[in-house]
Amino acid sequence: MSASLHLNLLNDDERVCSSPVRMRVMLPIFAVLTVIGLCVWWSLLAVRLHNAVQVKHLQEARIADLKPSQEQVLSLRAREREARAVLEQLRFYRASRLCFSETLLRLPQHVPEAVQLTDVRIPLPPPLPPPPFSPPGLAVKTVPPGPTNLTEAVTLRVAGRAGSSKPSEAVRALLDAFRLPDFTNLVRAAEIPKGAIRQDTARGAAVRDTILFEITCDCGERRFK
Amino acid sequence: MPQASLPKALIKPFKAHTDVVGLEIGAGTGAGVPAVRLRKRNGKTELLAAGFLDLPGRLPTSAGACDVPVWTLPGPFRAPRAAMAINSPLHFLRHAAGGNGEEATDQATTFRRVSRQTAPDMPRLVAGLPEFQAAWAARLLPEGHRPTACSIQVAAAAAMSGFTASPAFVQAGGNAVALFVYAQVTSLAAFQDGGLVFYREHPMGMEHLRGAISSQMGIEASLTDAVLEDTLIDPTSVVEPVLRPLYRQIEISADYLLRRRKCQVENFFVSGVTAGAPYWSKLFARMMNQSLVFCSPLDGIERVGPGAHLPDDVAKRAPLLMTALGAARAVLEDQ
Repeated sequence: MSASLHLNLLNDDERVCSSPVRMRVMLPIFAVLTVIGLCVWWSLLAVRLHNAVQVKHLQEARIADLKPSQEQVLSLRAREREARAVLEQLRFYRASRLCFSETLLRLPQHVPEAVQLTDVRIPLPPPLPPPPFSPPGLAVKTVPPGPTNLTEAVTLRVAGRAGSSKPSEAVRALLDAFRLPDFTNLVRAAEIPKGAIRQDTARGAAVRDTILFEITCDCGERRFK
Repeated sequence: MPQASLPKALIKPFKAHTDVVGLEIGAGTGAGVPAVRLRKRNGKTELLAAGFLDLPGRLPTSAGACDVPVWTLPGPFRAPRAAMAINSPLHFLRHAAGGNGEEATDQATTFRRVSRQTAPDMPRLVAGLPEFQAAWAARLLPEGHRPTACSIQVAAAAAMSGFTASPAFVQAGGNAVALFVYAQVTSLAAFQDGGLVFYREHPMGMEHLRGAISSQMGIEASLTDAVLEDTLIDPTSVVEPVLRPLYRQIEISADYLLRRRKCQVENFFVSGVTAGAPYWSKLFARMMNQSLVFCSPLDGIERVGPGAHLPDDVAKRAPLLMTALGAARAVLEDQ
């Protein structure tokens, strides 16, 4: 109804807040604290980065220092592995050794009179395969000192000549002797390979009743374990 | 103009003031600083506290002596905001002579001014206060403590604001002549349709009345109020020569309203009379053939329950709270 008579002489810049928490005061404080906080944060980050870089350089230097030693150690460990493999291989050989001596000592007792042994041989195992091809730049694989398979077949090869009137029987008697208990601990099977009995023609017609023979004994397997 | 009002709308406080303490500075009552705390709730104005506070500080009289005390109000008066009414001999309140009320300064003292259109066909009402006094008052209540200043008004305008919000003025239909009696002067305001159309100050106040009684009846100044309230002594012969010029001014003003503004005034109110009301009304009835209605500033204000901090004789001393209450009410009503 009535026009207001509120004639306010207070200036706008004189209006203040009664709250103890004043934005006019708190805002600059928060701003300064934020700036200080950011500065501290960035300082800490810078210090940590600097420390990390220093540690990195230090570690790189130590790695560089240790590189020859490490290479030496790696080389020694490789050599050690090789030596250990050789020793292991030797141990395998030692463990897989077959004893022929006692068996061969009993052999003369079973050789018929008409038979003359000309060759008693344990054939060597087949040669090792060549090492696989390695592309240039890669280390060449070490040649194993012995066979890498777990077993190796062993044979005993007995060769000779037989004379008299019935040489084949003498050879048969010798073959049967290998199946006697004196040999069975070593010889598993004995046989005369095909074509292994033939006329001895080397010494002329006078000895035409003499034959050459060959007996192959299977001695089982050597086990490399 | 929309362009001019937009920034003002932006800076307008989001929340209206609903709890305000009014303070009258420079009242010179000798009892302390009149203070009234009002709260507006659900459209009703409530009185929370009233009293006279023992606070330091007299209004500075020159720009050089401006030591500002820091006021700390008692708990019941710590509203969020404070409206201060300055009762200074240097302040002025008048209708502007020019079109916009911004008159050129003609004095050495720099004045802080504010004006308002109170009626459509009237010059703007201008209030002015020396800059040093306004700045001094603005610093009385420190930041961060309740209350802080939200308004500084001149005492006369504050008292009129309290009156225009009273139920007596509303019932009068907005057509009235009101007297606001202070210690040294009496303000005379005429309202038409709720708008202030006439404002004058007459250099007669309660102190002049007391002085006349004291000098002519030969009693101490402190006993004059008792003489005015005593029915055994009749000071009419002393009171009448003091009041007659004032009532003559009212007569002239009423005639002005009738002749120039076609407004027949039948409602006459007076506020601020602390003693001798019967003599005021008796003489008024004799001179004006009208009744003079005494308005209490507390009319229309609800008093809250036992929580209110009010002195026992608040009704009797209410005229002294007129300006402080008006300052608070001006803020509450001007939302």
